[in-house]
Amino acid sequence: MTVLYAFVAAGLFGCGLYMVLSRHAVRMMLGLSLLTTAVNLVLFQAGRIRTAQPPLIPEGAERLGESADPLPQALVLTAIVIGFALTVILAALVLRAWRSQRTLRSDELRSAQDLGSPLTPGPDLDH
Amino acid sequence: MIAMLLATSAVASGVSLLVGRFLCRRRVGWLLGLVPAGLFLGFLALHGTIEAGQTITERLAWAPSLGVDFSLRLDGFAYLFCLLVTGVGALVVVYADAYLVERSPEDRARFLTLILFFMTAMLGTVLADNLIVLFLFWEATSVFSFLLIGFDVDSPSARRSALMALHVTAGGGLALLAAILLIGVVLGGYSLTEVVVRAPELARSPWSVAILAGVFIGAFTKSAQFPFHFWLPNAMQAPTPASAYLHSATMVKLGIYLLARFEPVVGAVPGARDALIAVAMITMLVAAFQTIRAENYKTVLAYSTVASLGILVMLVGLNGPMASVATVGFLLAHALYKATLFFCAGTVIHATGLTKLRQMGGLWRFLPVTALASALASLSMAGLPPFFGFISKEFLFEAQIQSSWDAVPMAVAVLVNAVMVGVAGVVTLRPFFMGAHRVQDVRHKEVVGLLLGPMILALLGLVISLEPTWVNRVVLLPAVMAVYGQRVDVKVALWHGVTPMLLLSAAVVGIGALLFVFWVPLHYRLRTFTRVDRYDAEHAYDALLRRVRAVARGIAERLQQQDLRSQLGVIFFAVVAFLIWALITLGRGPRFPASVGAVRVGPALLALVGLAGGIAATWARSLLAAMIATGLAGLVAALTFLVNGAPDLALTQFAVESLVVVLLTVALLALPLDAPTTRSPRARRGDAALAAGLSVILFIALLDMAAAPQQNTVSAFFGARSYLDAFGRNVVNVILVDFRGFDTLGETTVIALSAVIAWSLLGPRVSIEDGSGGARRSVFVLEFASPVFFWLLAVLSVVVLLRGHNQIGGGFVGGLMGALAFAIVALTHGVDRARKRLRFHPLTLAGVGLLLAVASGLPGLVAHGDYLRHVWIEANVFGVHVKQGTALLFDVGVYLAVLGTVLAFLFGLTREAEA
Repeated sequence: MTVLYAFVAAGLFGCGLYMVLSRHAVRMMLGLSLLTTAVNLVLFQAGRIRTAQPPLIPEGAERLGESADPLPQALVLTAIVIGFALTVILAALVLRAWRSQRTLRSDELRSAQDLGSPLTPGPDLDH
Repeated sequence: MIAMLLATSAVASGVSLLVGRFLCRRRVGWLLGLVPAGLFLGFLALHGTIEAGQTITERLAWAPSLGVDFSLRLDGFAYLFCLLVTGVGALVVVYADAYLVERSPEDRARFLTLILFFMTAMLGTVLADNLIVLFLFWEATSVFSFLLIGFDVDSPSARRSALMALHVTAGGGLALLAAILLIGVVLGGYSLTEVVVRAPELARSPWSVAILAGVFIGAFTKSAQFPFHFWLPNAMQAPTPASAYLHSATMVKLGIYLLARFEPVVGAVPGARDALIAVAMITMLVAAFQTIRAENYKTVLAYSTVASLGILVMLVGLNGPMASVATVGFLLAHALYKATLFFCAGTVIHATGLTKLRQMGGLWRFLPVTALASALASLSMAGLPPFFGFISKEFLFEAQIQSSWDAVPMAVAVLVNAVMVGVAGVVTLRPFFMGAHRVQDVRHKEVVGLLLGPMILALLGLVISLEPTWVNRVVLLPAVMAVYGQRVDVKVALWHGVTPMLLLSAAVVGIGALLFVFWVPLHYRLRTFTRVDRYDAEHAYDALLRRVRAVARGIAERLQQQDLRSQLGVIFFAVVAFLIWALITLGRGPRFPASVGAVRVGPALLALVGLAGGIAATWARSLLAAMIATGLAGLVAALTFLVNGAPDLALTQFAVESLVVVLLTVALLALPLDAPTTRSPRARRGDAALAAGLSVILFIALLDMAAAPQQNTVSAFFGARSYLDAFGRNVVNVILVDFRGFDTLGETTVIALSAVIAWSLLGPRVSIEDGSGGARRSVFVLEFASPVFFWLLAVLSVVVLLRGHNQIGGGFVGGLMGALAFAIVALTHGVDRARKRLRFHPLTLAGVGLLLAVASGLPGLVAHGDYLRHVWIEANVFGVHVKQGTALLFDVGVYLAVLGTVLAFLFGLTREAEA
């Protein structure tokens, strides 16, 4: 099972990466979302996949018995929410970009480049 | 004691800015001048120890594992510098206050603070025994010099000069750092005392030449030696008090300080003395030539300073005890008269607004005391008896006669000293006493603040030579002893009888007088040699800077293409390359799990479906299809969590996937859904190869990780202590709200901030009342089910939140579920209905949540002294045993923050999409 999960996580990671390399802003956003999912799966596997027993201390007991590793779960839980927030922020940016530029191709979104290169010497550097 | 003095200096410098800005806006210099004056007295109080030839050492642990201690050491030579730095510093602060009278109090406060900080850095440099500490203070002086030269931030030339000084001096500092690190390699430590004691060992090491080269470059850049001398005349852009302090009396002497400290090493490495003397002679000649060509008052003084520094470097290069005597004597004499001359130049420039010497004349009528001070200082500079400059010049010639060098340095010294005589005449006689018709009126008269500094220093140059016993005993003798390593009997006297030194002095004065008489024709004659300017080091500096910039631009343009995709490609390619390199250099192959293990058919098929979703997302032409395929992968991840003992994660992921569908659909429907490919087939193949490469590496890494023995001590600790210490049965939730509460607080902050970002990015601001819902096509099923779902989800979210500490659930999941409840309302009746139902502004919700989370840590701070250590209360309410703690408060804060954030996303995106 471990090998299979590793294969799926790595595969999803590759798919996400391939989409991030696209020039279409929405594909990049979805690719990043896939990357998040893949990375969460990777993190989850760091705790080893052993049992379906959740890390809950049963009534009457004082210590956690045999169960899944709680630490990666705590890490992944916040990562899921933050990854979600990241995706939505990107969606907001994409929407704004489309509204103001009428394009979603990253090579046509050039407002920053049109400001000029920071490497072009200004009047000060050229004394 | 000396650590205390240094600390006092640092603290007082910091406070002075506030004093100058808020407490005492007028005449602040008199108040702040007490800082260096007090330090001066503090150092003076140590004179007994220094006189006895002892060294004060103090040591504070800093980074002992790196061999870096904050060790300080005060010997005679450092003592001379400390007295100079604090004494002249006090006069400079008072003078600067009067000089900057027309500036705003804020400007004055800034200037004086910089001066005081610079003083602290100077003291630190000369007091440091650890070379790393010395280096830090050394670079600090460069930084403050940079800030002071560029004090007039609006002047492009001041900024350029400041940057030039920083490039040269701080760059030289880096060479010094390299040398220091090599010393650490050779000696196994960074103590300056060790360097002196073990100089032969350093000289024998294979690094000796490199070490000396680094030290020389550091010293030459700081002390403006050829070919690095050009920054000093440009540094005259600084306000004159800074020029007087940094660029004549103190900072530029640091190079001499360093060389004198390394003198034992210099003496032990063959050729090092010759190198010093050669550089010094070139510097002296170039500076003498440029002095005669210079037009500006301050530039003349600056080039004559370069020449004087050349003399000092030459003196360090000479051998024999008299060389040390002459170094110390000339150091003191030069500081006294050159600072005075800068003060006088400042007063003249301040009073007349003129900068060129040839425009000035007859100023003694308006500035009589300044004229007197200038005259006294000039006489000392010219080396005429009975001034201290005369005595130090005698020392200089005696050192040259005593040393084993031939006549060439002697001839250069005579010539350069003659130029000094000429300069002394030019900077005093011309502006003050000749050409009375040139200046008819001045803008400012003399005030006490402008006179105190020059008069005291000028008179000191006279007093020391007439009454030398005290200064000799307390300052000169200990300093010479520290430099030379053993006691030298210094006879400070004006009259030694007719000696070779006296004859040389007479020759210098004679030639100098001739130079003065023919100064103006000589000046114009030398100015016509414009051809030499082409070989000026400043041009080389400019060319180098241009070249560096062009190369940087070339590299950046090659790597940083204007296409995001190629740029990302470069990054990912680099990642792949580094990972492969790391795998190769690892020294062992990756491990593989011993056995594949039992495959559970259901979960395995499920996982493969998720992968299929990912692959489908890459293939989908329609964006909606791509989104659904991505969502499929997410749902499979949720189910995978569920079947592997992570119901918390599953719940969170389910909620997130549902919300993503709602939110992204809103966004995507405003966009063209059919998205043509943006990459050529060839580019796609390249990207696929890159992605596959990284994928394979990740796969191998994951297998290696799975095969590695597991370290789960942390998890075991959490599992064991979760109930006993934090009273929670859901270990994941306890980790989030208690064990790692600080982390979670940070993450909650990130989430709340993303709400602010989204809200400010999206759409026009419409209040709830203004929003016209518009006619919506209602779906019967939704309309019927909406209230049911809303209340179900809303109640469920609160339940999930409340029981999260012991059962599945918690603030994050609860918040997401609550948001889903509102999403259903928005889907059915439009977003305005949802907003009305919420009543609060979503950002208010997020902000309150964040504040609650932050506040929930305070009781723990009060009760246990630990922020975010939760406080628990047990009570019996109506027979029901209740145990609650601030952990719940924390989780409620998280709940509200997540809820508010997701609703801000929902409302914002809908508003933008429907706008």
